[in-house]
Amino acid sequence: MTITKYPALEETLYETVLPNGLPVCVLPKKGFTKKCAYFVTNYGSIDTDFTWQGKQYHTPAGVAHYLEHKMFDLEGRDVMAEFSAMGANPNAFTSYSMTAYYFTCTEHFQDCLELLLTFVSTPYFTQESVEKERGIIAQEIRMYEDSADSQVYEDLFEALYHHHPVRVPIAGTVESIGEITAQTLYDCYGAFYHPANMMLCVVGDVDPQEVAALAEKILPKESLPLPRRDYGPEEPMTCKQVRTRRVMDVAMTTFQMGFKMPWPGFGPQAVRQQMVGDLAAEALMGESSPLYLRLYQQGLIDSSFACGYEDLPGVALLSCGGDSDRPEQVYEAILQEARRIGTEGLDLELFSRLKRSSLGRRYRGLDSMDSTCFRLCSAHFDGDRYLEFPEVYAGIAKEEVETFIKHAVDPEHCAMALVEPRQEED
Amino acid sequence: MEQRMELLPGVWLCGVETRQFKGACLSFSLLRPLRQQEASKNALLANVLMQGCETYPDMQSISLALDQLYGAGMGPLVRKNGEIQTCGFYLSFLEERFAMEGDRILEPMLELLGEILLKPCVQHGAFRSDIVELEKENLISIIASSINDKRSYASKQMLKAMCKDDGFGISRLGEIEDVKAITPETLYAHYKKVLETSPIELFYAGSTPLEQVGACLRKVLRDLPRGTLEPLPFCAMPRRQQVQYLEETMDLTQGKLSMGFTTGVTTKDPLFVPMMVFNALFGGDMTSKLFLNVREKLSLCYYASSGMYGAKGIITVSCGIETANYEKAKQEILSQLEACQRGEISGHELEAAKEAMRSSLVAIPDSTGRMEDYHMFCLLSGFSLDPGQYLQAVQQVTIQDVVTAAKQVSLDTIFFLKGAAQ
Repeated sequence: MTITKYPALEETLYETVLPNGLPVCVLPKKGFTKKCAYFVTNYGSIDTDFTWQGKQYHTPAGVAHYLEHKMFDLEGRDVMAEFSAMGANPNAFTSYSMTAYYFTCTEHFQDCLELLLTFVSTPYFTQESVEKERGIIAQEIRMYEDSADSQVYEDLFEALYHHHPVRVPIAGTVESIGEITAQTLYDCYGAFYHPANMMLCVVGDVDPQEVAALAEKILPKESLPLPRRDYGPEEPMTCKQVRTRRVMDVAMTTFQMGFKMPWPGFGPQAVRQQMVGDLAAEALMGESSPLYLRLYQQGLIDSSFACGYEDLPGVALLSCGGDSDRPEQVYEAILQEARRIGTEGLDLELFSRLKRSSLGRRYRGLDSMDSTCFRLCSAHFDGDRYLEFPEVYAGIAKEEVETFIKHAVDPEHCAMALVEPRQEED
Repeated sequence: MEQRMELLPGVWLCGVETRQFKGACLSFSLLRPLRQQEASKNALLANVLMQGCETYPDMQSISLALDQLYGAGMGPLVRKNGEIQTCGFYLSFLEERFAMEGDRILEPMLELLGEILLKPCVQHGAFRSDIVELEKENLISIIASSINDKRSYASKQMLKAMCKDDGFGISRLGEIEDVKAITPETLYAHYKKVLETSPIELFYAGSTPLEQVGACLRKVLRDLPRGTLEPLPFCAMPRRQQVQYLEETMDLTQGKLSMGFTTGVTTKDPLFVPMMVFNALFGGDMTSKLFLNVREKLSLCYYASSGMYGAKGIITVSCGIETANYEKAKQEILSQLEACQRGEISGHELEAAKEAMRSSLVAIPDSTGRMEDYHMFCLLSGFSLDPGQYLQAVQQVTIQDVVTAAKQVSLDTIFFLKGAAQ
């Protein structure tokens, strides 16, 4: 295994790629009782159209999430019960770009890891079991439909993008999941759940060699080709819709605003752009920015306001949102502040404080095993090494952040989704 | 290895010295009896104090100070545990060994706490009215927004109805009407009173020896006025003669069912540990009877779980269902309870419940936040076992003990938030 020491972080990372193509990384944590293992596939809700081994697939929205539910089925065994008999907490989630299966445990780590690797590498779907899950997933979708926070976020993607599959909710819709059969699940499983398209990451007081050896023993030996994904025609920089409005039983208007940006691609430059983007969001409208204070004091935003940068394959945006009874004024103020920064530049003192602050928060983030596993995996799929963040931060200059703000905050590339309260009928 | 020391009369510091983490935490809590007339004032107070002090006159300057301290966090913290409300701050910050040579973080953080607590911006014997009015608006919108999360809204409405004659029925943040009635003068008078009359608890987890943290806090808090402390209430939720049924209709696709049960068993009762095992087995996690039957077997819902409020001896169950499945889901939940009461519990179910509790208890020292949370739970609930002792007690629980506990559980209130006819 490759061993990389990060003395400033007091961490040592062990990495290898198994002969079947699976990347394995282990971050040992001496003295901790808890262990956390993530087994992740580079397959999310946006991967609906793809070509694999010469065949084209167009699959209904929501398959990645449906698979996540059904993977826990193992013929003649009860995966949940086995985990819980070992005192482990298994769970899974599907995002736009990945599906993660993970557990935390304090004892029986090897057995838990074996179980995780086994159930994720053993597809077992019957038409009957697929039917049965439909009701549960439909309920889950209904739950998101009733949540203003989910809706406003999904509406924003629908407004920003013309074609990209990020427009469709992660779990799909009650209609789209109606088309999913056992065969659909097998097709997508085959294309995306093989070692070369996945990653295993463990954080905790464990032996890295044993982790790699166990993965090699349990998982298929074969290394299969990667699927080619199709996210549709190239996205124009303009938005499909400038505003979306939806009425729900909420107390106050909730908004999400997004500034669409060109996708930086994969690799270290993407990860650098994530850090620059986060700093830009903080400098423009984060809690220590002059704009935040002004908006807060004017009662235009409250503590629910949050901002940041995010990207997915084919997607990049600067966004912010929260509760406000005057979101249009928030929008105007952000444009104005970006123009000011564009001409006056950022305060150097503010900028260096923000950098120090982001860095300190990332250091502290390493105290959470779950989030560390997640970040290691997601940086890997983006083609980068997460633990190198201190050097990347050190190299980011003020001008880079200013340029980012100037380019990102463009009214032509902006959309806003609003969820408004029902008006009382008198 | 928890240590405890009295810094000033009625001001206690507890802590754990550890080098396991990159970040340390410190919490500061004023302990108040949960009362309608002051719940909102307590909730508002921490927010108003966070808006500025003599040295850092507005939130931006506080934010900048926190940025300078390597992205330290300091936020208001308002808790409700039984009939006690706590109001204070939670601080989290980088261990100094990760900072640049010579940069101090702990002491400046404690000084900031002292400034914010003891040197607020005051005008003519009151808080600044612009700040108070703004924070009132914000608090009102937070309370009003509780309707947005339908799951917790349903639980909250259920508890409110269940405990309408009991302190526990009072919301953690109080009610909108109470917030509206607060003025800069009344809030300032209240601030003076709570500083003087509240027991205060601090908790620290980090690498600095507790003696040193204590010495620094004594200095920072030396001007804290201390008077006669107010006693704090504690009592189990009394049982109701007849089950209460309530419902509300909203434009929802998924209905939310919330049920409240009395047990008569609080944290101070010998049956408490068996009751917690019962709760884990009944609806605690993914191996519980509710999850396996209501969700997995009958596909009635996406979630179904139970929770225990130890200081009141209340168990709640919540699940999200199709409105049409209300009767079916309710019957299934109650029949799972009856099964437990009849002793239909397998050794396997008992072990799974104990395992779930074990793994969460042994992982407490792995996180500063969990240590703080456990510590405050014990303190506010009068629970005297540390995680290790608690675990030992759990291991000794038998099926018979769980059945005895289950028999104490009786339905009190049902609240159903249903979707309008589609």
